[in-house]
Amino acid sequence: MKQNIKRLGILIICLLAILVFYLSYLNVVRGSENVVNPHNRRLQEYESQVRRGTIYDSKGVVLATTGLSGEKNKRVYPRGSETAHILGYISEKYGRAGLESTCDRYLLGLEGADRARNYINRLLGREQLGGDVTLTIDSYLQGLALDLLGKRRGAVVLLDPRTGALLALVSNPVYDPNKLEEIWPQLIQDEDSPLLNRAVQGAYPPGSTFKIVTAAGALAARPDASRQTFNCRGLLEVNGYELEDTAVHGRVDIKKAIAVSCNTTFAQLGLDQGAQNFVTTIKAFGIDQDPGIGLPVRPGTMASPEEIIPTELAGSAIGQGELLVSPLHMALVAAAIANSGDLMKPYLVKTVKDSMGQVLQREEARHWLNVTTPQICGIIKDGMVDAVRSGTATAAGVAGVQVAGKTGSAQNPHGQTHAWFIGFAPADQPRLAVAVLVENAGSGGSVAAPVAGQLISTALNKGY
Amino acid sequence: MSGVYYAASHSNIKSPAGGRKVERNLLFLAALYLLAGIMALYLGESGSRVIIAVAAGLTVAAAFLLVHVYWKASGFKGDHYLFPVTAMLISTGLVFLFRLDPYYGMRQFIWILAGLGTLVFTSRVLLDLRFLGDYKYIYALLGLIALILPIFFGKEQGGAKSWLDFGFFQLQPSEFVKILLVLFLAGYLAENRAVLAAGARSLGGISLPGLPEWAPLVIMWGVSLLLLVFQRDLGAALIYFSTFLAMVYAATARIFYVLFGLGLFIAGSSASYLLFDHVRARVLIWLNPWPYIDNIGYQITQSLFAIGSGGIFGAGLGQGYPGYIPLVHSDFIFPAICEELGLLGGAGIIILFMMLIFRGIKIALRVRDEFLALVAIGLTSLLGLQAFIIIAGVTRLLPLTGVTLPYVSYGGSSLVANFILLGLLLNISHEADDSL
Repeated sequence: MKQNIKRLGILIICLLAILVFYLSYLNVVRGSENVVNPHNRRLQEYESQVRRGTIYDSKGVVLATTGLSGEKNKRVYPRGSETAHILGYISEKYGRAGLESTCDRYLLGLEGADRARNYINRLLGREQLGGDVTLTIDSYLQGLALDLLGKRRGAVVLLDPRTGALLALVSNPVYDPNKLEEIWPQLIQDEDSPLLNRAVQGAYPPGSTFKIVTAAGALAARPDASRQTFNCRGLLEVNGYELEDTAVHGRVDIKKAIAVSCNTTFAQLGLDQGAQNFVTTIKAFGIDQDPGIGLPVRPGTMASPEEIIPTELAGSAIGQGELLVSPLHMALVAAAIANSGDLMKPYLVKTVKDSMGQVLQREEARHWLNVTTPQICGIIKDGMVDAVRSGTATAAGVAGVQVAGKTGSAQNPHGQTHAWFIGFAPADQPRLAVAVLVENAGSGGSVAAPVAGQLISTALNKGY
Repeated sequence: MSGVYYAASHSNIKSPAGGRKVERNLLFLAALYLLAGIMALYLGESGSRVIIAVAAGLTVAAAFLLVHVYWKASGFKGDHYLFPVTAMLISTGLVFLFRLDPYYGMRQFIWILAGLGTLVFTSRVLLDLRFLGDYKYIYALLGLIALILPIFFGKEQGGAKSWLDFGFFQLQPSEFVKILLVLFLAGYLAENRAVLAAGARSLGGISLPGLPEWAPLVIMWGVSLLLLVFQRDLGAALIYFSTFLAMVYAATARIFYVLFGLGLFIAGSSASYLLFDHVRARVLIWLNPWPYIDNIGYQITQSLFAIGSGGIFGAGLGQGYPGYIPLVHSDFIFPAICEELGLLGGAGIIILFMMLIFRGIKIALRVRDEFLALVAIGLTSLLGLQAFIIIAGVTRLLPLTGVTLPYVSYGGSSLVANFILLGLLLNISHEADDSL
């Protein structure tokens, strides 16, 4: 029996030892992961003890800073509503959102050497300091994009396709984060949902901009599709349903079909490649994923391949099926074509420094997805260049620079079509990729394309 | 503390009976720890609140030493380490209760005094425990009655209907029944050990004892478990069950029984998972509490926030926000300790329990009488498993089942019962010393 008692005793002591290891794991390995959960009410308490760090744009412009107002630290957003959707807010009453919440661990000095430093600061009764965060956003371009949207509801996403760095991420309407607590009751009742970040959380039918994805899938499934011609009679019959085109385009190949945005050709290309291949292509573009930019992105939604009947497939191939995507995802589609099929991981936070200026984290260009081949991208790019030169997207043209683009006018149950434009420039060596969406505003070519054109033109002039 | 402990660990057998120097020195440390804790809590403050807390701290520290003086005078030869280690746990609990809510601090203070009285009483009246083995069926009967009472006359609290309301205080019978359970099992196993270990007949290559030998065991276990299910006291059920398995293993060394027991456990927990919503909810929030952060997952996520916020060194006594955790003064006192004393403080508590278990096992190994050895290992397992179950629960290592952290959590029944447990262990060690 002594032997049994000994073994049992060792077992119980081991159980307790496991607790010590597990507790160490929770604290050391998992670190502050649990602490920075926006539901942790301690964050609000820390807020009053810590001088929260500053958020800068890529040029060093202050986007968020902490000033003293009376006894309490007050968060100030010098660019106001312009960056509201990116930065989010911290509010005692209404919680935490946006990058302010995602970067809490750095801004509140809970990471790296700051953790130990602030521990000592607290013991000594000194002010605790948070670290600083620098974004990839250029506040000038951000402001310009917002101005270009004006009073219209919509979103603009501008990024560097070579790195994935997001230069502008705009959602309209906006709100003033400096007055959040006063205007909150109106904000949540406003029918235009100003709190919604349309650029990443919006769910829109992509319309004809999705033909880029359909083209990539068709060319991957059957490389000789590039030499095939289609005869557009302005109508395509699918299982007894008639799919109407905007015009009778006559004999077109795939490039021409992109340039003139021929519905019947792309519906046919969708049917030819089959539901399975179509869905695989959508996934290859990362449309079903949240790429993890620091803001929650709504993954695109679609019917599962088994449920896609031919009429749904033909509709989805021209962006009018059950498929819903965010403007960010469509900007990534453009970026993937621009970067020869190699999609870089999009990101918003460039560098994170602790309160002493020591760099804690530096985001670099990272490969994300192998979307398609350079050959396929070349064919699609030619079609997109033609679309801007002489097709549906001429309004996106920029003097002296070759722009590639694709428009969309997405039908939806809420009224006029959503105006879409996605594209990149300069076409031969793209440095900018863009997606513009304007809700219920008419055709992509006349409403969205000019916004993209002006934004690209200004960005190129600024040296991007 | 462990250094002192180790350096002295071989001297106690040789120390003159009635000397108890090791205990005295360690108790001085515990008393100092308690007073330092109380002082740190009210650093730089004044007023009646401070005076009451400091007075309570001084009284408890003095009471610790008084118990020691009494034992020394009466020639008690119980283990020198059990009481000081327990005193450390009790002190931590008292300081934290004053910090969390002085109301609970004051009540715990009274309970500690009552508990210390019980401890002295136990060490005097039950000094020779061997006779206890003869009344095992009385314990079984008493235990069952004590468990049935709350079902009819009980008061529901925290989802469990396991309290008896006596007006100015409430009694949780299951805390006391756990000791009766150990006494019953020890008596029973000591008597039937040989038969149970060897088995009387063979069934498919596994030798099994006859029905009369093991039926009482299973019945006792099954009934107590059923009662607990009716009381919805999952924590106590888990402790009873694991202690039962531990003692059967210690007595028989037969893995078959353990496997059989685990099989029963899996069957029982699957059945209750299917039958009871509150069991399903526990499993659900164990697997992933985050989607339920606003309702059923609130408590456990608050606990995880507290533990995470503490870091390695803790926020410092009185500097954290453990008040966000519901029931922080009782089942959830451990995350409060982790938040303010950090990983080091939390690990310290666990190490104190390891010391208790270590001493308990030494006592069980040292005593010659089989019944007493089984009581010692049973009580030790009970203590260790209870600490393990609640700490694993609040850290989300295991599904949460509400039990108190022995000697630390607020609770009169728990405290007094655990003092009786301590007294019994000490008496057995006294016995062991005699038999050397």
